[in-house]
Amino acid sequence: MRNNSLLRVKRALLALLLATNTNAADASAKHDGYRLALPGYRFEFPRDHFNHPDFQTEWWYYTGNLRTADGRRFGFELTFFRRGADNGAAVQQASGGSVWDVRDVWMAHLALSDIHGGQFLHAERLNRSGPGIAGADLKQARVWNGNWETQWALDPSLAGGGTQRLKAVAERFSFDFALTSDKPPVIHGTDGVSQKAEGAGKASHYISLTRLSTKGEIILDGKHFSVEGASWMDHEFFSHQLESDQSGWDWFSLQLADHSEFMLFRLRRKGGSPDPFSAGTYVDPQGRTVHLTAKDFTVTPGKIWRSPATGGNYPIEWMIEVPSIRFKATLHTPMVQQELTSNSRSGTSYWEGAIDVEASRLGRSLQGVGYLEMTGYTGPITGLN
Amino acid sequence: MPALALFYRLILRPLRQERARTALTVLAVALGVAAVIAIELAGQAAVGSFRSSLETLTGSANIEVTAAGGIPADVFARLATAPYPLKVHARIEDYAVIAGKVKRTVPIVGIDILSEGTLNSAGAGEAPEGASDLRIDDSVWLTSGLGFKRGDSIHLLINDAAADFTVAGVVSGQAGEAILMDLAPATRFLRRGGRLDRILIEAPATHSIEEWTELLRKDVPDGITIARQGTQTDENRHMLEAFRWNLRVLSYVSLAVGAFLIYNTISVSVVRRRFEIGILRALGAPRVAILGGFLGEAACVGLLGGVCGIVLGRILSEGAVKLVASTVASLYFSSRPAPIALTWEYVLLGLTMGMSIALLSALGPAWEASRVAPIEAMARGRSEHQARVHRWRMAAAALLLASVAWVASRQDAVNGKPIYGYLCALLSIIASALLVPLLVSVMANVTTGVISRVFGIEALLASRILAGSLRRTAVLVGALSTAIAVLTAVGIMVGSFRETVVVWMDDILQADLFLSPAVPGGVDRHPTMSAEIPLQLAQLPEAEAVDQLRNYEIRYEGLAATLGGMDARIAGRRRKRSFLSGASADKVFRQLIGTDSVIVSEPFANKHRTKAGDILKLNLGARVGAFRVLDIYYDYSSERGVILMDRETLFRYLPGAEPNNVAVYLKPGVSVEDGQRAVERVLAGRMVAVARNGALREQAIKVFDRTFAITYVLEALAVFVAVTGVGSALLALVIDRRREFGLLRFLGAADSQIRRILLFEAGLLGALANISGVTLGLVLSLLLIHVINKQSFGWTIQFHWPVMVLLSALSIVYVATILSALYPARIATRLIPIEVIHEE
Repeated sequence: MRNNSLLRVKRALLALLLATNTNAADASAKHDGYRLALPGYRFEFPRDHFNHPDFQTEWWYYTGNLRTADGRRFGFELTFFRRGADNGAAVQQASGGSVWDVRDVWMAHLALSDIHGGQFLHAERLNRSGPGIAGADLKQARVWNGNWETQWALDPSLAGGGTQRLKAVAERFSFDFALTSDKPPVIHGTDGVSQKAEGAGKASHYISLTRLSTKGEIILDGKHFSVEGASWMDHEFFSHQLESDQSGWDWFSLQLADHSEFMLFRLRRKGGSPDPFSAGTYVDPQGRTVHLTAKDFTVTPGKIWRSPATGGNYPIEWMIEVPSIRFKATLHTPMVQQELTSNSRSGTSYWEGAIDVEASRLGRSLQGVGYLEMTGYTGPITGLN
Repeated sequence: MPALALFYRLILRPLRQERARTALTVLAVALGVAAVIAIELAGQAAVGSFRSSLETLTGSANIEVTAAGGIPADVFARLATAPYPLKVHARIEDYAVIAGKVKRTVPIVGIDILSEGTLNSAGAGEAPEGASDLRIDDSVWLTSGLGFKRGDSIHLLINDAAADFTVAGVVSGQAGEAILMDLAPATRFLRRGGRLDRILIEAPATHSIEEWTELLRKDVPDGITIARQGTQTDENRHMLEAFRWNLRVLSYVSLAVGAFLIYNTISVSVVRRRFEIGILRALGAPRVAILGGFLGEAACVGLLGGVCGIVLGRILSEGAVKLVASTVASLYFSSRPAPIALTWEYVLLGLTMGMSIALLSALGPAWEASRVAPIEAMARGRSEHQARVHRWRMAAAALLLASVAWVASRQDAVNGKPIYGYLCALLSIIASALLVPLLVSVMANVTTGVISRVFGIEALLASRILAGSLRRTAVLVGALSTAIAVLTAVGIMVGSFRETVVVWMDDILQADLFLSPAVPGGVDRHPTMSAEIPLQLAQLPEAEAVDQLRNYEIRYEGLAATLGGMDARIAGRRRKRSFLSGASADKVFRQLIGTDSVIVSEPFANKHRTKAGDILKLNLGARVGAFRVLDIYYDYSSERGVILMDRETLFRYLPGAEPNNVAVYLKPGVSVEDGQRAVERVLAGRMVAVARNGALREQAIKVFDRTFAITYVLEALAVFVAVTGVGSALLALVIDRRREFGLLRFLGAADSQIRRILLFEAGLLGALANISGVTLGLVLSLLLIHVINKQSFGWTIQFHWPVMVLLSALSIVYVATILSALYPARIATRLIPIEVIHEE
């Protein structure tokens, strides 16, 4: 009954908190008081798995493809976003501040693709850190938003990938997964930065755990499913916005049967042309990485699916080619409706879902699964980007 | 058809012909019904609405979490991260004043602007609102009823500060008025130190509420209360029920007075139509037809009175609701009355009340009419038959009832309602009515000689007429004396109460200057001021001592109560007669210092049956503390219980050094003016009001009087009904005795003599009613003070005669009674002697 009116309240607020910065062309090493992602950053784990409050935006992205013993397939996405609000800092200092002051806005997205059942369930939430409602804390080895969380095991193996326990509770479903990293963290880009546009600091620090062996349980409408499979974690922190001529991106994570992985992103300019800062990484079965620049690969959209909810025209088939390592792949999705429709202005609606990969490497055919994210198909991205 | 025609001729036609008398009887019923309906409607609006604006934002939550002094923030985090599919909402709840042409106190609700609302619930693609320059810290959202629009600037007083906010949005579809604000600024302005007033939880139906609360209790500390959403509201409403019940009883007094008058009207009808009844019976009409006929007359009066009463009650309820609401606010809870809703239930109630009171009171005379023997009624000579009155038998019955009443007065309250007390009052009223015939005849016998010597022959005639128609006189005196008794009783009770409060204030209001935040406090709301204020004031050379009080709204055994912390060192030195035990204040207050001990107010002790030496277990914040009760103190400031402890003790459990009230004692020799100037210099820039001792007392007495205003209105109504009844009865008397008046005129009585006879009759009626009424009133007042008040509210009231108030009220009643004879007298003087005698 009151949802609509409060929703409007919330929208107005998000506009304030998450508004695109108009003076983003600031060339200094700071952006509105936040640190920029600059080359030479020295990564250190486990520290860098957790919070970087001196950067304005940070996210932890978990996606995965899982199956039950009898082959019932699920995909999942659990994402924690943080955005520094730095709201009313002066007021807070003047009167001592309180636990409810909004220093960061924490948003989280949760989705379950029940591919066999043909249903896509998703939820989102928005919180402040408050007294411990949401956060990312090295001491607790935890990233959480309400009762959605990942708890790292505090053991020396953390320095590499370590193990995590990923849990989430939603209205109709919940899950509890144990994730074990088979490979050390991948740092994308060059010299510790993944460049997104021309200019110092228009970049991010970008870490991935590309193969997380996953085991756990999904409870959907009261039914328990024991599942196994592989997950992927992305962790990025930065302090810049999309450039005004950039309209969105397509992001691909591929986990192939030969134990290798690809991460590719294609930035799109307004008008549809690809952006020269599109890039990717190839991770070989041993965990060695090859940085791929825009020149090294092509991604070609295929069949279009028009979302009945938002009217967005999403390419749900893709062709990928990386000539330098003689790699070709066709991507399909087993379920077209994997769009997270958001009503808040924070998250523009986007498509994020499980995909199947038909690839060939050095002429040998290769199967795989992956996750595909497509943003900016329903309007400008004003939120966390 | 013949039955209807008969009914028309025997019953309706006379009703129509004697328009004035019928109208007066209908009016009496209508006023009685109106009083009941007005109080019902006003009570419903004032009390029923008490689900105040704070409650409008509970949405679909089904569990609420509360704690005395506020819920520590980490409790919220624990609930928000608990592994259940719950929606958890934080609330800070208080009041602010919207400054402007008209200052309005409006609930202010701190909510989590970020997380509230379900992101997934509405349709996508709504136009974005251009709010990019908004700031969460100085934005508010208002319910549409407040009349602001987005982008407006709003000036709010919160506690002792004033601040400007921008209206970031108007929340539509909300009942009531409320200001919404994010938790961060709400915490800051309302000085919550991070604590929450309430946590609302939406839990799915997979488990019962009881299972959920059980489950969640494991996640929170002991002091925290988890209960079904609305539990507190229900408890509060339950408390208000007792108050409403008392008010309701008072509203029925007018109806009861009306009953006497219907009884009288029907009796008159019966007496006057004995001859016709005789004929009908002789012609073969069965007794039941006669009975039905007169009951039909009563039903007509009842129906008409009921309908008029409902309309009148609806009109009166507009005024009544304000009075009731202000009483509720000063005694119980902050609330804003809801619109008055006259539903079918109330219409039905009004009609039922009107009809049943009419039928019940007509039953006796109608029954008697049906017993009339044809031969007797048709006997020659239409001289008025006088029903036999068994004075002594009635007096014996009165004695019996009085003894039952005595027993009833010794009983305890039932469910917080003094049911036996009211039973006792009812029995006393009936007993007194039964004694009236004896009183009238004794008076008539004793005084006739005196009266004729002093007032002349007209007075003697008047006295004889009254004594001659003893039953009718008794009924009239009964009606008027009931009204006078209630007037006297409530007058004495309120007067005694007022005097008690004045004496009590002398004791507790010893300081010279009293400080409170500009935002008005209330019995359940405690705006604070900066903690620096008392510290700075203590430095003033003019100040001898500075006391401060910090109150918290808590619950004890399911009832709202106030927990206060004061400076026991200072309070103890000043007070004298504070405690029920008679212990010296100094000694008791000294014992409070440094120990987990408390003193409780008298209403608290009565409600919870607390004695000195008991241990109170109090949930304070997240903790549970055990406190020894040292003594019970007199407190007339509110109906709810108060627990007081030393500030230092309080702060070991709850945060918040900010006081709600500060009292400044000036050094001897410092004038109040100088002292106030010095204090105001310290307060410069803060929104804090300074009241002098005298002004504060005046204010308190004003609040007291306002609280009882509703009872005055109801009493006035009852008296009005009774006086109207006297007029109506005298009119009947004139019409009945036109033969006698005609004869008197024929014998040469002047108009002025006739008028005097009637005025004397009214005067004698009034005198008799005053004597019996004041006596009964005294009895009732003792009942009100020692039984009904004690059981409903728990105050000790020292008996006190409000002589002037009573004298003036009774004089007005007396004069009104005599004046009510003017119209009947005019009718009597208009009788044409020849015509009247001719009829014979």
